[in-house]
Amino acid sequence: KNCRVVTSAAQNIINTQPKTFPIHRTGESIPSFPPYLALSRKTFENITMMPSSSHRQSLQVIILSARSSRRRRDFKQCFSRSNNRIALSNCQHHQLARKPITHHDVLSSRQITTSSSFPSTERTRTTTTSIEPLSSFSSSSKNNNNSKITDLRSDTLTSPTPSMLQTALRAPTGDDVLSEDPTVLSLEAYAASLFDKPSALFVPAGTMGNLCAILSHCHYNKSSEMIMGKHSHINLYEGGGYANLAGVSGKLVEEDEDGKMDVEDLRDAFRRDDDDHYAKTVLVALENTHNMLGGVAVEKGYVDGIGRLAKDEWGGEVKIHIDGARIFNAAISLGVSVGELCEGADSVTFCLSKGLGAPMGAVLVGDQEFIRLARRARKKLGGGMRQAGVMAAMGMYALENHVQRLAEDHERAKRLASGLHDMGFWLPRGGKVDTNVVFFGLPEDSKIKKEELPHLLFEKYGVKIAGGYSSGGKLFRLVTHMDVDDEGVEKAIEGIASLCVN
Amino acid sequence: MLRTALLAPTGDDVLSEDPTVLALEAYAASLFDKPSALFVPTGTMGNLCAILSHCHYNKSSEMIVGKHSHINLYEGGGYANLAGVSAKSVEEDEDGKMNLGDLRDAFRRDDDDHYAKTVLVALENTHNMLGGIAVEKEYVDGIGRLAKEEWGGEVKVHVDGARIFNAAVSLGLGVGELCQGADSVTFCLSKGLGAPMGAVLVGDREFIRLARRARKRLGGGMRQAGVMAAMGMYALENHVGRLAEDHERAKRLAAGLRDGGFWLPRGGKVDTNVVFFGLPEGSRIKKEDLPPLLFEKCGVKIAGGYSSGGKLFRLVTHMDVDDEGVEKAIEGIVSLCL
Repeated sequence: KNCRVVTSAAQNIINTQPKTFPIHRTGESIPSFPPYLALSRKTFENITMMPSSSHRQSLQVIILSARSSRRRRDFKQCFSRSNNRIALSNCQHHQLARKPITHHDVLSSRQITTSSSFPSTERTRTTTTSIEPLSSFSSSSKNNNNSKITDLRSDTLTSPTPSMLQTALRAPTGDDVLSEDPTVLSLEAYAASLFDKPSALFVPAGTMGNLCAILSHCHYNKSSEMIMGKHSHINLYEGGGYANLAGVSGKLVEEDEDGKMDVEDLRDAFRRDDDDHYAKTVLVALENTHNMLGGVAVEKGYVDGIGRLAKDEWGGEVKIHIDGARIFNAAISLGVSVGELCEGADSVTFCLSKGLGAPMGAVLVGDQEFIRLARRARKKLGGGMRQAGVMAAMGMYALENHVQRLAEDHERAKRLASGLHDMGFWLPRGGKVDTNVVFFGLPEDSKIKKEELPHLLFEKYGVKIAGGYSSGGKLFRLVTHMDVDDEGVEKAIEGIASLCVN
Repeated sequence: MLRTALLAPTGDDVLSEDPTVLALEAYAASLFDKPSALFVPTGTMGNLCAILSHCHYNKSSEMIVGKHSHINLYEGGGYANLAGVSAKSVEEDEDGKMNLGDLRDAFRRDDDDHYAKTVLVALENTHNMLGGIAVEKEYVDGIGRLAKEEWGGEVKVHVDGARIFNAAVSLGLGVGELCQGADSVTFCLSKGLGAPMGAVLVGDREFIRLARRARKRLGGGMRQAGVMAAMGMYALENHVGRLAEDHERAKRLAAGLRDGGFWLPRGGKVDTNVVFFGLPEGSRIKKEDLPPLLFEKCGVKIAGGYSSGGKLFRLVTHMDVDDEGVEKAIEGIVSLCL
């Protein structure tokens, strides 16, 4: 009763031969994933090649019968070509899955009743196998090239994988407001150790991590001021919370194309507390990778330099915070550990929900007393979640499994950049790309206007991009992530080039 | 409940692309008969988003709130130190209601530069600190009329309904009816309803639009939040009716303690799942000793330090507390103190 039937042929067979489908007879024993009846390899192929949509992460294939090695090989080929993550629910065949899961976590100790006879392929080959995609899967795209969407708008769009979701089922939890959630505590301990900082705090979003840091480093009633980049996320995309919630003034310093603020500009912006005209500088916020300037990986030497400036020149009273939403991308790109990279900073926020792929969450790391204040700030901001271990478990999985693979995203981003650069598009930094972010602008003689590109690209190629960045809104931003593959990259380059270039 | 998290279709909720979150918000709005809703990580954030959206930072906004309300006592002063809103706190009676005369005294119009301007009244239902009291619909409606008619319709009414479903089940009403007189309501999914986290704010469309913006800058803009919203939906669909069992157990706790000579507010009257009690005069042990002893000997965990002088303990029943637990609690507390 939980099956979704994707072909008219299958529907026909179910209607006429209900006994061949144990799923219907065994009733509640089947986990209520949306299983699909694959009656022929072609149908199976079509199912597994369906658009990687929001249902994808729960795509699970029940092999009712694949006892022959030839059939197993067939299915194996389907898996490897599929764009979906396939989890097998028959433990005999788990080795075929690209991302095997322990299915008994899902099924507890239940066995799937396997049909001993698949409907013969001879019968099904003669019937039509046109796919009528379910409405929840069909994209609004009418593109004919393929049925898969490549979403390059952001790495926040990464969906949790089945294995990751499994960890949520198993995580021991408690009330995190009372510090009684062991899974949150272990994620925080692990994060602190990765960054070589004493303490850490799990928060619902990177914005809250940054705001907790600002609230904890700065003193509301002491005219605290912070220095940050003019193109930083804290300045541009956090709703002005540093001012309208934390009451801290900000001095903006322009960054160079490598995401660094000039040390002289920093000295000019700095204010000591010996003149009533001035607020007092207590915090410098850096960003790594620097998003708006191109996902730029800022080097350790620079971060350490700012740290020395704060500690040595400025009397040690100014703290350094890193908005490290994509710090792991920076670390992978630079070939250093996050602990080394952030050594010069007092605190760091990093996101679990972006390239690392968790559904939500971020972590703030820093000193013990700082984190104690940050925890209080988190509560009053409304981030005091209860059995947050359900989410922290997925964050832990992301940290343990999805860091190294960021290098693949960088690889794809570089290919996108060089592909566009070769076709005459404008890229900042002469096309140099450090991580998973690529900005580009249309060439002078573009066939279409910038406003038209996103929807044409989606309609014709199934590629989603976002524009409106930089002055005049001239630039588009592409972000690669685990839900974007090589084919998607090719389509994007091909699509953008063919739509814009003569 | 955890399995629904596995199945939930998700998307980026900051882009309003998470269908599960949207479904939960639509369902919540329909339950409360309000136009719109917003999923937030906690009740505190729901209340803070409401305050930020009802009040105007630069216009000396002021809110009236109960002296023993959660917003006043347990939300870190965020209404002031984050939202910049001043507050007049009014004492509630033992049924959780603020006196209308006191409200009128606290109200300030914008025609005198000495005053901030009242733009919001916050009610709490159930009222936690006074005993998990279910505040009646007539009272909420009355405050709504006060705001709309006497005060020119410029004052909004927000209900901190962390445990509003307990109130509704206790009073035998729908939450929509119960909150009809209010402009907005926050309710928690993480408490008696049993979800791991989350709360929902409901209200008008424009209000929710502003609340969504407030949520983002507070740091509540989560991504594939459908994983959590699915569990919240499960809770809403399956765990409301059973709150009556929690109330039943709380009443038994209250009766057992009262018969044992313990002091209970409201003469021992309990509406929902919360019971406060104080040790009798002739208690064998001091109040500080009760929690550790009760846990050691009976495996029952309780919390104290409530009310003036920290004299009261609070007991809260919920789905992870059964009849045997209730018996052990009564027996343990009585035998340790009497």
